[in-house]
Amino acid sequence: MSKKWQISRRKMLKGVGAMIALPYLEAMAMPGMSSFVKEKSTQRAAFLFMPNGVHPERWTPSKFGSDFELSPLLSPLESLKQDLLVLGELMNKNATLYGADGHYSKSANLLTCMPIQKTTGENIHSGGISIDQLIANEVGHQTLFPSLEYGLDRITTGVDTNVGLTRLYGSSISWKTATQPLSKEIDPKLAFDRLFRGYVPGKKVTEDPWKKSVLDLVRDDAQKLKNTLGRSDQNKIEEYLESIRSIEKRIVNEENKEKFESNITEDFKKELSRMDQRLDEYQDTYLEIDITKKTRLMLDIMALAFWSDASRVSTFMFANSVSNRNFSFLEGVEGNHHSISHHGNDPEKMEQYARINIWHIEQYAYLLNKLKSIQEGDKTLLDNSMITFASGLRDGNRHSPYNIPLLVAGKGGGVFKTGQNLEFKKNTPLANLYLSMAQGMNIQINEFADSSGTLSEILA
Amino acid sequence: MLGKYILSILFGALALMVFANDGDEIDFKTSILPLLEKKCNTCHRAGPLKGGVNTKRYQEEERVVKDGRFWFKALNQIKTREMPPSTEPVLTDEEYHILVDGIENILRKALKNQNPGSVVARRLSHTEYKHTVMDLTGVEFDARLFFPSDGSGGGGFDNQGKALFITPLKLERYYDAATIIVADLYRDAALWKKVVPKSYKLTFWMKFTNWFKGIIFDNYQETHTPDKVASESIIPFASKAFRRYLKLEEKEKLMTFFSEVYQHKDTIKNPQRFNESIMETLKVVLVSPNFIYRAEEESDKKVPFELNDFELASRLSYFIWSSMPDEELFELARQEKLHDTLVIAAQVKRMLKHPKAKRFAESFSSQWLEIGELIEPKPIVDPEKFPEFNTSLRKSMFQETVDYFYHVLTESKDFSELLNGNYTFLNEELADFYGLDPIKGDTLRMVMLDNPNRGGVLGMGSVLTTTSLPTRTSPVLRGKWVLEQILGQPPPPPPPNVGEIPEDAEVQKNLGLRALLEIHRSKPECVSCHEKMDPIGLGLENFDAIGRWRTSYGEVEIDPSGVLGKDGAFQGPAELKTMISNKREAFALNLSKKMLSYAVGRSILFTDQTIIEELQTCLLENDFHTEKFIIELVKSYPFRLKKNDFRKKANEV
Repeated sequence: MSKKWQISRRKMLKGVGAMIALPYLEAMAMPGMSSFVKEKSTQRAAFLFMPNGVHPERWTPSKFGSDFELSPLLSPLESLKQDLLVLGELMNKNATLYGADGHYSKSANLLTCMPIQKTTGENIHSGGISIDQLIANEVGHQTLFPSLEYGLDRITTGVDTNVGLTRLYGSSISWKTATQPLSKEIDPKLAFDRLFRGYVPGKKVTEDPWKKSVLDLVRDDAQKLKNTLGRSDQNKIEEYLESIRSIEKRIVNEENKEKFESNITEDFKKELSRMDQRLDEYQDTYLEIDITKKTRLMLDIMALAFWSDASRVSTFMFANSVSNRNFSFLEGVEGNHHSISHHGNDPEKMEQYARINIWHIEQYAYLLNKLKSIQEGDKTLLDNSMITFASGLRDGNRHSPYNIPLLVAGKGGGVFKTGQNLEFKKNTPLANLYLSMAQGMNIQINEFADSSGTLSEILA
Repeated sequence: MLGKYILSILFGALALMVFANDGDEIDFKTSILPLLEKKCNTCHRAGPLKGGVNTKRYQEEERVVKDGRFWFKALNQIKTREMPPSTEPVLTDEEYHILVDGIENILRKALKNQNPGSVVARRLSHTEYKHTVMDLTGVEFDARLFFPSDGSGGGGFDNQGKALFITPLKLERYYDAATIIVADLYRDAALWKKVVPKSYKLTFWMKFTNWFKGIIFDNYQETHTPDKVASESIIPFASKAFRRYLKLEEKEKLMTFFSEVYQHKDTIKNPQRFNESIMETLKVVLVSPNFIYRAEEESDKKVPFELNDFELASRLSYFIWSSMPDEELFELARQEKLHDTLVIAAQVKRMLKHPKAKRFAESFSSQWLEIGELIEPKPIVDPEKFPEFNTSLRKSMFQETVDYFYHVLTESKDFSELLNGNYTFLNEELADFYGLDPIKGDTLRMVMLDNPNRGGVLGMGSVLTTTSLPTRTSPVLRGKWVLEQILGQPPPPPPPNVGEIPEDAEVQKNLGLRALLEIHRSKPECVSCHEKMDPIGLGLENFDAIGRWRTSYGEVEIDPSGVLGKDGAFQGPAELKTMISNKREAFALNLSKKMLSYAVGRSILFTDQTIIEELQTCLLENDFHTEKFIIELVKSYPFRLKKNDFRKKANEV
């Protein structure tokens, strides 16, 4: 819809001639006029996952529509209210798994909206591709990195023998295919270097002229190896081949590289230097990680990636499902996330639970403010983004899958009408939001997972 | 119990023979199915399932066989009279006979066709990668923090192919790792010399003779060419890295690449030119799937077939050393001798004696006992509550368990000592922390204990800490851990909406955890599992959340006594430990499953039932002898054989 609108505007512009200075000209300026001005909004999408649910009574704002007041849990978003969509009563219907209920079945498929396979590890299956990967498949070829998967914690190891599921299910929300979870980057330094190592002023990088040839050779090895193996083995080797192809694409795609490098302006380089310094100062230690600092570093890197157009799609996991992160560093909290989430309706524990939720919202607000501070033409980076925040559960105490906590910030390049608190029909499929997002990014699909339509109320 | 068990197997076998002769088998459709309908399906049906079980699905015998593992568990519950539950009428003798013997016969019949199960190509785990790089190059590389982490597969281990994925990000890291490793190798002259014993440099005299001979003989071939010299390093390196003979085309490919790089580097002087070209070529080897994966070739056989000797050598070495085979194993593989059971037994003994077996001790024990997070760079206890819990203490605790396991494995050779022993491994810091007699030094060493409360994994800081919450102990978690990891009898998940114990320190001080748990346990939906878990955890309450000895929570004295079901009453940790270590059958069965899963890199399947029972018997009849058990395991069907994957290959579809 918005695309048509833009094309007609462009045609009009050509017809009328560029000498007529219209007040809105900058937004639609022709390529090359200014490095800051893009012909058309570049849309970005990110999905942030918070484990263990929310305080069930303090999440939903009291009034609906555009004239709403933020709830206690959402209070850190005050200055971002007009950029925000609070979406009520959505549900991931395929998140209930009989005989293995709890967290895992509601996180592995948070973005796939399909039922997971019950397994301790032999038949890992998330039900389908996750929405971030579906989007990356469509828009990823335009950037150096099709998508970026970030998080803070290593995959939780072991099998939860209680529910008969591998804990891997609680540690992955991005699925390239139903059978292939993507690895998340959890070390800010490594994440930063992967994208920007070659561009930090004063930092030297060694040339690697043979990389392409090495990759060619090992790809050939993989192909040959594959032919000698059985089907399941072949599938494993196919993962390897896929990965090689994806790296090769990035190396050979000069056009994308040039586009990316044209975004590395002097201002941006200054930002890179600052970031590099912060990373040097930051160090993981065994005893205490400043989790707020680490979170913000990761989110800043995501913002830099969006800003420089290194990638347009990203996921971020605040922690794995069932995370028992110690939140005693927060005022008034003594204990661990998962334990506290099973508050047993004890008011005191629920208060602590709420404070942990607020901490997460504060970090979300940090990212949004960062994106909002970056100009892209007459818009901000936030205006051109859709940044989702979700948990797979409502009340952690009951593992409730209904009315999950769900926020979207940013207008997605003019697709969404933000500044609303909406209540949908009970148990509206979560996939409807994803379908709306995908269509908003001009991806030609009519359904996603168990979607029953789009969320027309959020569309501009 | 053991007698009864063997008897029941014997009876089963006997019954099978008798029935087979008489044609008087218990028929599934006419006898078993109606009983299932009457006795099981009334509760275990579609909808919110009792225990996640729906027995109504089993309308055909084949389905019972397909879910054979489940049915063995179910039979066990019927045998121990846990099912039907006490609220339902008991089975009559006739009904018991039809259900238990009837279903068991079906399962045993299905097990007659031996099946090694299929093992998918395994990417090296990060630990295996690290050790293989060490053994191949001598370079120390910390792969665990460099690569994005992996999840665990079926058996709860990180070496299970089905759960080892590769993604673009991971592959990039493999590439970067290879770059770093090769550079480190080159930087260390001694290590480089081992991998590249011959360098290339022409003396003036050699140049002259080459020129001269070239003039005289038309078809003169230089013998001392960079390619030839390089191949003497590259080919053996790649062969070791791929853990097999190289194919001709593989050799050619590597050498062609070497030449190409060498030609391009014509501005650089030898030997640097030569060395740099070798470095690039070694990188290819280290990124190749032939190095990163352990894949076992298909054959055209319809029945399960023996792995080839090189594949078997790798299975052995990755099992016991977490790394590639050494020269002796390679040599035996070349001579095709590894299939001789005497040879393989001798190799196991040799390998266990080698210090590299400590890697197995570390990898297996830390994953099985779930203490790995002690050495991960993240906090696991509240630093304000437990400031003494520092990095060095964490490492010492981890090491205590590893050293203890290693000692049991290689010295005392009795796995049952894992649960109870009169010694442990301590250094100055740990002895002081435990409040034991002081010793000196940082290195852990074996210390005999007078106090029967420590000794064995249940008295170790590692286990006691990782089974606690960051701020306090959790008797429930500790009890659950013992049931799951030691006895292999995990309780079902708690119903949702249950609530946890208040975190508040004040409440704990006034009431004590025991009283709190009793309130919790008073709920009818909780009691059946918690009466198994809680007494175990409460019996360990003398150990605080980081494993220190204590006798009270502030004002309230700790009462570590309890009753462990039919096993009777215990007074404290020492007696509890004895009681748990007396559950020999359960422990032996669990250890057999865990170790087989680790050794073959996949979940335990129904078709493993026979071998699991044989391994269990091996433990029980040989006083849990470690070496005999591991030899039995590597001689077993699933360890030595492979079956083809009969689905169409991708290129045939």
